[in-house]
Amino acid sequence: MAVPTTSTKLAQQTGDVAVPGIRHMGGRALLLPLLVAGSVLLLWEIGVRWAAVPEVILPSPSAIFGVVIDSREILLRHAIPTTLESAGGFLLASAAGILIAILLTYSEMARQALFPNLVFFQLIPKIALAPLFIMWLGIGSESRLAFSVFISIFPIIIATTAGLSSTDPNAVRLCRALTATEWQIFTAVRFPSALPFIFSGMKIGITLSIIGVIIGEFITSQRGLGYLIIFATSRADTVVAMAAIVVLCISGLLLYGAVSLAEKITDRHYGVPRG
Amino acid sequence: MSVFISLERVGKTYHTRTGSVQAVAQASFDVRRGEFVSLLGPSGCGKSTLLMMVAGLEVPSVGRLVVDGEAVTGPRKDNGIIFQDATLLPWKSVLENVLFPVDILKRPRREFESRARQLIQRVGLGGFEAKKPHELSGGMRQRVAICRALIHEPQVLLMDEPFSALDAITRDQMNLVLADMLQHDDKTVLFVTHSIREAVYLSDRVLVMGGRPSTITLDLRVDFPRPRAVEIEDDPRFREMVRALRASIQQGHGNVVPAH
Repeated sequence: MAVPTTSTKLAQQTGDVAVPGIRHMGGRALLLPLLVAGSVLLLWEIGVRWAAVPEVILPSPSAIFGVVIDSREILLRHAIPTTLESAGGFLLASAAGILIAILLTYSEMARQALFPNLVFFQLIPKIALAPLFIMWLGIGSESRLAFSVFISIFPIIIATTAGLSSTDPNAVRLCRALTATEWQIFTAVRFPSALPFIFSGMKIGITLSIIGVIIGEFITSQRGLGYLIIFATSRADTVVAMAAIVVLCISGLLLYGAVSLAEKITDRHYGVPRG
Repeated sequence: MSVFISLERVGKTYHTRTGSVQAVAQASFDVRRGEFVSLLGPSGCGKSTLLMMVAGLEVPSVGRLVVDGEAVTGPRKDNGIIFQDATLLPWKSVLENVLFPVDILKRPRREFESRARQLIQRVGLGGFEAKKPHELSGGMRQRVAICRALIHEPQVLLMDEPFSALDAITRDQMNLVLADMLQHDDKTVLFVTHSIREAVYLSDRVLVMGGRPSTITLDLRVDFPRPRAVEIEDDPRFREMVRALRASIQQGHGNVVPAH
């Protein structure tokens, strides 16, 4: 899964990122990608049947969806912990990330001490550290939650810091001229104007949070979609693995959609209209 | 009328890594209650710095600065301020932007809402209360900024080149709007501009700043009766004042400044 880097996301600002908001979609803009996806699935189905590809190598879409429907109860049972842990990790990462960003914005010392280290941490392949979290926190939810927070918090911190430090200096000067306190400046100007940045960080964060949980489930778990994928592939049950991936996609879409929806609601109050 | 703003040998020196820059050498002048005084001078003469010191946003390096009988130590609650940029909060409507100082000063919104609507009406933006800043033109945004500066009924109005980013026609309109807004008011106004005509049209007194480091080089009284019609700009005495001010600016700075 390709995750856009923080810098490109920020450069593009919200709304112009890879997944455009629904409101920008005309009929054609919605229809065209669906048509492409449908065509690919159709070609896949025809190709698999025509070439008689063994199901263990590549099952047909119809077979996969068949398993999704037939085994929906088992899939759902595994989807729930994965989704809840992803959401939990994301929420913790958002809260902690925003608080750390506020600290970095207001404390020069904290910024100087922490920011270079954060950027350094952002660069290391954090997935490599996943087994350590299992060692430290055991095989329960805690280790997966912690790892999920660990990998999703960085873009949130960096985007929020960028947002909080991009406040219009004139607006701050206006507040000061009106004898506003720092807290008033923060709540009335700084935080609202950072919201688009914060959401662009959170949208990256939610996708990373799911990755974190799945990695954790890959390594050691008795439940969850990641566990199901590993379990099925170890038995060469490709169609079940693929069905678990389909459910994982749905779960990811729901989580991303929830963040997107929160962004839209906020945007209605604090959005800076483009154009 | 009593003295409301008083500057005695006020100066400002900025210390930077490459040395110190004297933005204002020393400025001494008084502004009486209800008086409209313009600070006129070329870019970089320190007139904005002087205004920011009066606003309490900058601290004088030397001298004594008194507003309403008290030495200025920081921003005051009854200052109204307008910058070159309207600086409206983009997510707030026109009405909410006008009410912004009321929120910051923690006064009850209810008491000020009808006043806000009246102000919006008077600057000619009736019907635009619910619009967002991006739906307005530059001149309209600055009208909102005028309303915002006046909403909490400040005694002092401080304006830092408020119309210099606007086109000439809009600028003339804004001068009329501002003169009209202050017509029945006894606000004390300090107005920074580099437009000579604007300064003469709006002011009771025009102070020229110049030199390097800068001081007040001319203090000119403008005694045209109010309300002033636009036509006073064709009056020979108006033109004579513009000419004298331009000459003073040129002397002080050695630059030719066109009269806008």
